[in-house]
Amino acid sequence: MATDPTGGKRLEDPRVLLSILDNLPTSIFVKDEELNFVYSNVLHCEMIGRSEAELLGHSDADFWPPEAARGFLEHDRLVIDSGQVNISEESIPGDNGASKPILTRKARLTGPDGQTYLIGTNTDLAAIKQREDQYKALSETVPVGVMQIEENGRVAFCNPLLHAYCGGDGADEAKLDLIDKIKVTHPDFPGESCKFEIEIAPLGVPRRSVIVISSGWLWIGGAQRSAIVSVVDVSEMTELRRINEEVSRLNRELANNMKRLKEAQDELVTKGRMEQLGQLTATVAHELRNPLGAVRTSAFLLERKIKDKGLGVEAQIERINKGIVRCDNIITQLLDFSRSKQLNCQPGDLDQWLAQVLDEEAKKLPAAVTISCSLGLEGGNVPFDPSRLQRAIVNLISNASEALVGQGDDPAKFATPEPVISISTQRQGEGIAIEVRDNGAGMAPEVLARIREPLFTTKSFGTGLGVPAIEQIALQHGGRLDITSAPGQGAVFTIWLPLTAPSDTEKAA
Amino acid sequence: MSRKLNILVVDDDAANAESLAELFAMDNHRVIVAYDGEQAIEAFSLNKVDVGFFDVMMPKKNGVDSFMQIKSTNPDARVYFMTGYSADDLIDTAVKGGALGVFSKPVDLGRLLEAVEREAA
Repeated sequence: MATDPTGGKRLEDPRVLLSILDNLPTSIFVKDEELNFVYSNVLHCEMIGRSEAELLGHSDADFWPPEAARGFLEHDRLVIDSGQVNISEESIPGDNGASKPILTRKARLTGPDGQTYLIGTNTDLAAIKQREDQYKALSETVPVGVMQIEENGRVAFCNPLLHAYCGGDGADEAKLDLIDKIKVTHPDFPGESCKFEIEIAPLGVPRRSVIVISSGWLWIGGAQRSAIVSVVDVSEMTELRRINEEVSRLNRELANNMKRLKEAQDELVTKGRMEQLGQLTATVAHELRNPLGAVRTSAFLLERKIKDKGLGVEAQIERINKGIVRCDNIITQLLDFSRSKQLNCQPGDLDQWLAQVLDEEAKKLPAAVTISCSLGLEGGNVPFDPSRLQRAIVNLISNASEALVGQGDDPAKFATPEPVISISTQRQGEGIAIEVRDNGAGMAPEVLARIREPLFTTKSFGTGLGVPAIEQIALQHGGRLDITSAPGQGAVFTIWLPLTAPSDTEKAA
Repeated sequence: MSRKLNILVVDDDAANAESLAELFAMDNHRVIVAYDGEQAIEAFSLNKVDVGFFDVMMPKKNGVDSFMQIKSTNPDARVYFMTGYSADDLIDTAVKGGALGVFSKPVDLGRLLEAVEREAA
């Protein structure tokens, strides 16, 4: 509502005005030019602990200790003399020696009576001081560096931890230095609200990683804006993170090494087992072949002695001899599979050698089986161990023959009316391929899947070591054995050998 | 008609040695049997041996070492080897040292008798 300042409604009753002054939440006093109290509202009386009667007509010197009174009076005199408003912190001495902090605002006033007066207001600072102390204590105990930077660049407050980060006590220069350094990479600091991580290394202080958080410019009392800046030391976290990453890296490396170690161990165990098996087989072979030899010689002698005597035991003697051959074949296969000795590889004309081997083997095959040959290496030199590779070839051919005609004695059991084993050689990549193909019944997928397993056999008389032995020999040469087959399509066994001699490690495999 | 030979059979497996001895004797050859390498050396020194059939792996002295020793005093010694499994290094030494051949055990008797016949021819 608009009021007319010159209107008759203006309060003029002094009692009403005094009542208003008594009810203000501000302590108000008035002194005359001699600095004697001429007015004190209720709050002022309460604040300094004196009644109005005690105050009026008296000066501070009448009831304050001389030193305190001198301080008050000096301020008062300055205001009266200069006419300048004075705002300052003062302390009102208490009864028990404790003093009460107040913020005093004093001004010179010329009254309607023409006299000069001093009018003052006091604000009790105790609560504010208490809070300040709390904040100070808080800022000293938090594990965070805190400072208040004014817009003009002055550092208004800095807690001890930030002092320490900047290089010790009283290092205002250092603080400014720090702010300047931060500003190089973060030009908006500290005016813009921000948060970032940087490394700081003030002179004589260990380098540390810190997170800097600025509130940006805020009005926090005073005549200009300030920013509250927190600095959190994350060096340990950074170090921890680095250690963590290092540990993770080492863990991965360890896991990797463990895996390699396990593989190496497995390889050693396998190799060790193969060596053991090789020794065992060699011993067994030797121990069995001696009595086999004696049995064979004895059967031969028997045959001679009863010859022409018409005893009719030829079939039995034949059975003994076949038994000996079978036992010998089993021993040979065991030896082929378990031999872990190094190969004796020499470069040679593989086609020429193979032709001889096939010539020899063809004679042993059942008559029904035809061998067809197509050797296409054209004289290239291939490193191979003739005695070992011969075992592989012999095995392949006898397997093919058995797949075609079984024992070869019953055409009703033949897989095909025209059993053929086709053998070919050719260059293939960085090596050569020896292919042995039969036109037999082929293998079911489940048989093909297990054909390389030691002891797996589909024959009533097999050891299940033939194919593993062939593969072993190929591997020892640094090569491999490929097998393809399908029911009704025969089977193809291909030994692939590299053109370069296998390395020592491969040889020992 | 082939001549009769003095044949030395060396094998620590008695059944083997004796059955072979009987086989050769059946063809009217004179057979001496030895059961280890040292006996073989002794047999060679005491007898005129036309041909020997030596086992390789034997106690006291193996067949190849015995053969090499025999060779040193009797460079013309004629010896075949018989082996249960190929002891490559020893066989190699024997072949390079002048052995006539190597039979795998159980010995193929047809081939063995052919060898004897060649010696007797």
